[in-house]
Amino acid sequence: MMTQGYSLNRQTAAAALLAPPLLFIGLFFIVPLINLFWVSLHGASSSELFGANLTGDNYYRILTDSFYHTIILRTLWAGMTILLLCLVLGYATAYVIAPLPPRTRLILLLLLVAPLMVSNVIRAYGWIAILGRQGVVNSLLRSTGLIDGPLLLLNSFEAVAFGLMTILLPYMVVSIVNALNAIDRQYSEAAQSLKANPVRTFIYVIWPLSSPGVASGMLLVFLLTLSAYVTITLLGGPRMKLLVSLVFDSVTAFRWPFAAALSFTLLTLALLVAGLILAVLRPARVQGRG
Amino acid sequence: MRALLVALAIASYTFVLLPILIVVVTAFSASEFFAFPPKGLSLRWFEAFFASDSMRGAFARSLQIATISAVLATILGTMAALVIARRKGWIVNLVQSAFLAPLIFPAIVLGLSLLIFYKRIGGVPEFIGLIIAHSVLGLPFVVRSVTSSLLAVDPALEEAGQSLKASPVDVFRFVVMPLIWPGMLAGGIFAFILSLGELNTALFLTGPGVTTLPIEIFSYLQFQGGQLVIAAASAIQVFMIIAIVLVAERLIGLKRIVRSE
Repeated sequence: MMTQGYSLNRQTAAAALLAPPLLFIGLFFIVPLINLFWVSLHGASSSELFGANLTGDNYYRILTDSFYHTIILRTLWAGMTILLLCLVLGYATAYVIAPLPPRTRLILLLLLVAPLMVSNVIRAYGWIAILGRQGVVNSLLRSTGLIDGPLLLLNSFEAVAFGLMTILLPYMVVSIVNALNAIDRQYSEAAQSLKANPVRTFIYVIWPLSSPGVASGMLLVFLLTLSAYVTITLLGGPRMKLLVSLVFDSVTAFRWPFAAALSFTLLTLALLVAGLILAVLRPARVQGRG
Repeated sequence: MRALLVALAIASYTFVLLPILIVVVTAFSASEFFAFPPKGLSLRWFEAFFASDSMRGAFARSLQIATISAVLATILGTMAALVIARRKGWIVNLVQSAFLAPLIFPAIVLGLSLLIFYKRIGGVPEFIGLIIAHSVLGLPFVVRSVTSSLLAVDPALEEAGQSLKASPVDVFRFVVMPLIWPGMLAGGIFAFILSLGELNTALFLTGPGVTTLPIEIFSYLQFQGGQLVIAAASAIQVFMIIAIVLVAERLIGLKRIVRSE
């Protein structure tokens, strides 16, 4: 009896503690999301937020209109380019940082993590100052007499991909450093004692064991790419649109149901690519082997 | 091979740090327009920043929203973590994923869903709406860091407090909180910093006359690009973050700062 009363008490205490945060996240995260989906299943209305009748027209249009296919493919292409660049630069950087003494490693990581705290609008502004018409690169080139007129380095796909890559790169480095440091050194020593050369040791031992870090870094980078409206607009200019730009454009045109449908297209894309990353890297196979 | 890796690492650091460095240096320009290196140094753009009502207002509003949403996220996140860290089972796992989801959820969708939700319930003042959005985004940082602090606390300590007939509130105040406050502080600081620079939900939830500093900088860049006052606004935010990191390093240690992001 005593113990039962005690555990019942703990049960109520746990429920009382959990109720407020759960209510908060339910009311301001989950309910609005369900509502957004509901809105996406309606037509537009001139007086209300959305029309009266249920319809799949918004999704039908996105699936059949080649304009949206172009934008979705461009979004995927941008994501892949950013992922590849982040993977190469991030892995190399992590590989250099990971074996350093703890204090040095922490300070070097801080130099990458602190910029993540700076607003993306400021970091994109930095690239405008460097790559813009009157920017650092153009002034340097002009003062050396290499060019006559300014090079147009902004407002392009390349500017968006490169700029976003530099903004998101620290996530990749930090995840891979954590994964590399979790690998027991005995594994690579064992591989070496079996006469595996460094390349084979990397391919068969280090790379698979670091895959959880690579996977979580890639997930973060891709998902944050999908949302990066401000960076895309500032570096890509008015014509370089990705999926997120269309969401914003629909909102400024007050086409709420269509904006909602585009949002769910974006979420579907996020889920598909996340699934693909996990299927290819299979990070779960390392779980529990520390 | 080694040389190539080091070269790539140096390139990474340059790509990440250079844009911020350029903005900070530009903020001290004496000239009317952007030039690099700046022709002469001055504080005139910082004066211009504080003389501009819209900039100063956005800055003050950003600080208020960041403070309130960080406190809210810390309170709610700690409550959730106290249950998550001490219980097992699929329900707890599900609850935990719900709290951590905003960490990877495309924030632009959260912003739009909240905007439409606010409209449907009859409108919410922008200031309150932004605080709610930033609390949702800050929660996962608190849940994560407090949960990991709690997992390092021996549950026997709490049981000892309970067996001495201390109320749950007293157990928390005198036993648990003194042990987990670095985790709470780390989570709260991250929620604060996140709110200060947040763009994706603020894009939808700010309104005419009620903007945050990052959105103010964004609209300046879009419509009056040459103004160096935005460099000063940016530099002020960078200096604040440096100050916060230095204080946090003293209070909670470098390891926690680097891990929590």
